[in-house]
Amino acid sequence: MSLTRRDLLVGGTALAAGTSVSAPFFMPKYHVDRRPKRSRVAILHAEQYSQKLDEVLATGLRLFPIDVRGKRVVLKPNLVDYAPGDAINTHPLLVLAAAESFRRLGAKSVAVAEGPGHQRDTQLVLSLSGYQQSLRDERIRFVDLNRDQLIRIPLRASYTGMESLWLPRTILEADFLVSMPKIKTHHWSGVTLSMKNMFGIVPGARYGWPKNLLHWKGIQESILDICATVPVHFIIADGIVAMEGNGPLNGTPRSLGKIVLANDAVAADAVCARLMGFEPGRIPHIHDGSRFLGNVSLGHIDQCGEPLDGAAIPFQISLQFQHLCSALPTE
Amino acid sequence: MTSNTILCSHLIAEIALRQLPCGGWAALASSSQPAVEPTCYSALSFAAAAPTSHTERAFEFLLRHQNLNGSWPVFAGDDQDGAWVTALALMTLRNLPAAIPARLTGFEWLMNYAGRESDWFWKWKFRTADRYVRFDPETFGWPWFPNTVSWVVPTAFALLALKQIPCSCGGFEQAPFRVQRGIEMLLDRACPGGGWNAGNGVVYGVPVAPHPDDTAIALLALTDHRQETVVQSGLQYLEHAAVDLCAPWSLAYAILALAAYGQNTESLQRRLTSMPDLLAIEDTSTLALVLLVLDVERALLELGVTA
Repeated sequence: MSLTRRDLLVGGTALAAGTSVSAPFFMPKYHVDRRPKRSRVAILHAEQYSQKLDEVLATGLRLFPIDVRGKRVVLKPNLVDYAPGDAINTHPLLVLAAAESFRRLGAKSVAVAEGPGHQRDTQLVLSLSGYQQSLRDERIRFVDLNRDQLIRIPLRASYTGMESLWLPRTILEADFLVSMPKIKTHHWSGVTLSMKNMFGIVPGARYGWPKNLLHWKGIQESILDICATVPVHFIIADGIVAMEGNGPLNGTPRSLGKIVLANDAVAADAVCARLMGFEPGRIPHIHDGSRFLGNVSLGHIDQCGEPLDGAAIPFQISLQFQHLCSALPTE
Repeated sequence: MTSNTILCSHLIAEIALRQLPCGGWAALASSSQPAVEPTCYSALSFAAAAPTSHTERAFEFLLRHQNLNGSWPVFAGDDQDGAWVTALALMTLRNLPAAIPARLTGFEWLMNYAGRESDWFWKWKFRTADRYVRFDPETFGWPWFPNTVSWVVPTAFALLALKQIPCSCGGFEQAPFRVQRGIEMLLDRACPGGGWNAGNGVVYGVPVAPHPDDTAIALLALTDHRQETVVQSGLQYLEHAAVDLCAPWSLAYAILALAAYGQNTESLQRRLTSMPDLLAIEDTSTLALVLLVLDVERALLELGVTA
C-alpha cells in the first residue's frame, strides 16, 4: 500500500486536530509543583472547648519549626452562619488560643479574617457565635473578607477555566496565613476541611452569596484554583466537636476530641479525612491537590502527637458521597 | 436636642468623613476602594437626612462609573459587566433629572438580566436531573451576577427598582412579565417555617432557617402582596426574630420592613439607637442604613416602598 501526498495531508491534519482537542485533557492544570518533600501533621487530643486550649496549642506548635517573629499572621476560621447548639463554625475559643499562641511566638500582628459564605450580615454571625465579644476582649482585629479591598490576582491553576480572581488585600498581604477549618462533611464537596475553608476568602460582594460564581465553576475545581493561588502556611483544624451528615449547615455535631495541626493543607485534609473514616484519595480536590500542592501518602507525612486511628464508625455522609468511606473497596 | 438628633448628626459627620475624594465610599472604613453599594446607602441616607454636596458628589461618582451596557460594577475598577448593585444605583438616582438617560439604560440592562433558570435548558436540568434544591424553575428573578441563578436579595432589589418605571411602554413592555415572575420566585422560595434564606427554603430535603435581613428585604419588595400567606408567615417570623436581633444591619432592615407593613417599630428603633459603638462600625453600608432608619417614613420613600 502506498501513501499519496493527499493521504499524508489528510492524516497530518487529522492528527493535528486530534492533538489540539485532546491536549488540554492531558496537560497539567497547575503551573507549579509546590509539594514539600515531607509534610508534618500533629493530632492533638482535646475533649472540650476550654481555656486549657492555650496550653494544648502551645505544646502542639512546638512540634513544628515555624517562625512568625515580626510577621503579620492572619487566622482564617470557618464562620458560615449560626444555629444554636450546632457545630457549624470553628469554635471561638480555639481561634483565641491560636491568636494568643502566635502573639507569644512573636507575631507582629494577629488578625482574624473571614467572609461568611451564607449570611450577609457578618456582624450578626460574629455576635451570635460568640466571636464579637471574645475578639473585642482580646483586642484582636476582625476583617470582613466579603467587603475588604480587592486586588485582582492571576490564578496559578486552571481547573475552573477562570484566569483571575479578585481577592482581599488582607489575605494577599498576610505573611503567615492559617486556615482554621471545622472538620465537617459537606453535601456538595464531600468534606469541608482546610482547603475548602479557603472558599471564605472569596469576597461575597464580588462573587455573590454563597460564593455563587464558584459553585457554577465547580466546587472541587474552585478549591484547587484558590489553594494554588493563595498558599496556606499552617493549619489548625477544629475537630473537638466536628459535624457529620448534611453539612455544612444542617449536619449533626459529632464529638471527635481532636485538633489537627499541619504545615501542608493537603496533608492536613488527608489526615482529617482518615479521622472521619474516609479515603482521602477518593475526594477529588485532595486527590488532585496531591499532584502539586501537598502530600497525601502516609509515606510522605511525619505524623506526630496522637496516633492516626480512623473513626471506628465513619462519619455519616449524604448518599452521593458514600463511596468516600474507607471500608468500601477501592475501585 | 433629642438623643436621636445627636446620633443623627454624629452619624452624618462619620459618614461624611469616610467619603473618598472621588465622591464614592468604600465598603469598609479601612479600605480606599470606592464601591457602589456603600455609596448608594450613604447617598440615600444623606438625601433623607439633608441634601448636601456629599450627595451631589456621590451622584457624580455613580454616573461616572456606570458601565457602557447600562449596568453598574461592584466597585470602581471592577472588570465585570454588571452586578446586582445596578438596582440599588437606579433607586439612588431616582430623583436626579440629570440621571434620566443613565437610568433608562440601566433599566434596560436590568430587564435583560435574569437568573439562569430563565433559560429552557436550565429549567429542564433543574426539573429532571438536579433536584437537590427544591424550587419551581418556572419562576425566576435576578442573580447576584450574570450567568448564575436567581437569589432572594438581588431579586427583591430589582423588583423595588422596576416599580419605579412609570409605565410599561417605550421598551419596557416586558417589565410586568419580569416583575410577575420575580414575585412568583420570591413566593416560591420562602422557608417552610416563614421568612427567607439567601436562596431556597429546602435543600436536600431539609428546611433551611430564615435570615432576618433577607426576609426583611424580600418583604419590602412584596408590600403589594401582603395578603399572601407566604408574606404573612414571613412577617410573623420577622416580628418574632426582630426582638432579639443584636446586629445593626439586620435590625435596621427589620425596622424598615415592619414599618412598611404598618407595625409599630418604636421599641426596635430605641434598641437600635442605643446599641453601643455604632460610630465604630467598620461597614459603611450598615452605618448609612442606621442613619436612614432614624427617619423610617423618609427611608421608605427613598427606597420607593409603598407602605
